[in-house]
Amino acid sequence: MQELPGVGKRYDLAFGQGGQRLSVVVRRDGTRDLYAFAERGDDEPAAVIELTEEQARILAAVLSATFFDD
Amino acid sequence: MHVDLIGIGALVLIAGLLARAGRRFGMPTVPFYMLAGILLGPATPGPVLVEHPEDLALLAALGLVLLLFHLGVEFPVEQVLGSGRRLLIAAGSYIVINVSTGFGIGAILGWGLRESLVIAGALGISSSAIVTKLLIELRRLTNAETPAILGIIVIEDLFLALYLALLTPVLSGGSGGDLAFDMATSFGFLVLLFLFARFGARALGGLIGSNEDELLAVLVVGVVLLVAGTSAEVGVSDAIGALLIGLVVSRTKLKARVEKLVLPLRDVFAAVFFVAFGLSIDVGALASVAPAVALAVVATVAANLAAGLVTARLFGFNQRAAANIGLTVLGRGEFSLILATLALAAGLDERIGPFIALYVLVLAIVSPVLAARSRPLARVIPDRLFRSNWTYVREQTMSTACTHLDRVQVTETDADECPRCVENGDEWVHLRMCLTCGAVACCDDSVNKHATAHYEQFGHPLIRTIEPGEDWRYCYIDGALVQAPIGASR
Repeated sequence: MQELPGVGKRYDLAFGQGGQRLSVVVRRDGTRDLYAFAERGDDEPAAVIELTEEQARILAAVLSATFFDD
Repeated sequence: MHVDLIGIGALVLIAGLLARAGRRFGMPTVPFYMLAGILLGPATPGPVLVEHPEDLALLAALGLVLLLFHLGVEFPVEQVLGSGRRLLIAAGSYIVINVSTGFGIGAILGWGLRESLVIAGALGISSSAIVTKLLIELRRLTNAETPAILGIIVIEDLFLALYLALLTPVLSGGSGGDLAFDMATSFGFLVLLFLFARFGARALGGLIGSNEDELLAVLVVGVVLLVAGTSAEVGVSDAIGALLIGLVVSRTKLKARVEKLVLPLRDVFAAVFFVAFGLSIDVGALASVAPAVALAVVATVAANLAAGLVTARLFGFNQRAAANIGLTVLGRGEFSLILATLALAAGLDERIGPFIALYVLVLAIVSPVLAARSRPLARVIPDRLFRSNWTYVREQTMSTACTHLDRVQVTETDADECPRCVENGDEWVHLRMCLTCGAVACCDDSVNKHATAHYEQFGHPLIRTIEPGEDWRYCYIDGALVQAPIGASR
């Protein structure tokens, strides 16, 4: 976990699959930025996705395979 | 009382539309609010929506006060106090380099000492809002230098408070004994408010606390205006009063809710503040200050790059990170306009208004454009300005988002040859060391590429260079230059 003063906190995740990794920035207003690095050698993120708190919750539910109706 | 809602409404709407158009091109909003004020104000030919800037005086004052109050509320006190010596030195150098450059420009213009002090602050202190937004838009939140940039701008905000405290008595025009007395009063009041922030937070929480958002918002705004007004009355600027009461609120349990509630109020009224500042600017006067602004912009870019290099040296970053720091922290906005407003209110040289207006406008366009193009600049920054040598990797973005640092077991070696090359009787170019098992092997420019082969065989992710004068680490899995993060815990 890395503190980003005035912005929020960053969490880095790697899964050991050829450089695939994710960084999640949780901003203080609840916005989440998902930084995806797809291949080793990428020094810039392949994709950055900005999610609201609500969207982040939906994504988390889907990822953890919780069944729900929206 | 007659209120011209049509004029104000149309002006604010157009300001918002202009700012939205600017956002499409990645420009900050503040200069565009101001631009709307300039274009549709009384001193500019063409349609005039608001005849007298004073019509907006009350709303603009609210904007200024709420802007600084919110800054105080969201100020990350703990993170600054725990940020470590290196960051404090970096921020200190940034401030000294930039503020003294600003003062130098003021001296060259020769408008007067008080004017120079205002220009020093307006040119030297960057806009935390603009810089933060830029970092998010340039997708640099995982870069190694980003925590350093954020730390610098947060400490700059703190410096702003002290600078305002120093400047207000100077601006009010006293001299000698009077000035010393005013400054003493000013700092005395600051100390009082700091003590209040330390010990009185609970009492304030009791005074303004409410479970209902409506009441909390009303009580907060009431207290903030009262404190800001009182500060102005005792000769400290209302801006500082607002900032410090914000710091007090940030120590209460109400912090998160107040931050959220005040944000939209701040955004609206601050926009009006920027529009109102624009209204006071004469387009004709912009042309006459253009050469001075050009000089100021060039000096600011140079000073920021110098500060970026100092910071990169301190933290052991490479060329790319140095360029990123210098070009990102370039954004100027709300603080420069606040200082200009204070100067004009104190009756200083009127050229300060158009000078700072044009300066902020130019940097609004220059800064995002330059910041996005830091790579070519990184290519030409010479290695000798850095502690370590980044021959192959000076343009690469440095990352701290590497999760393999726990695999580091060995960091030093005495070896000075690639054993597998020696075995085969081959030559090598440079040497790398595996940070997991300490094996030394040759680089990818060598025929055998033994370091990469070592990674492929054993899966040890991190290497460092052991060339004399170089000091970088590379992660094969992430394919990135790696730096141990500042103050990180994993």
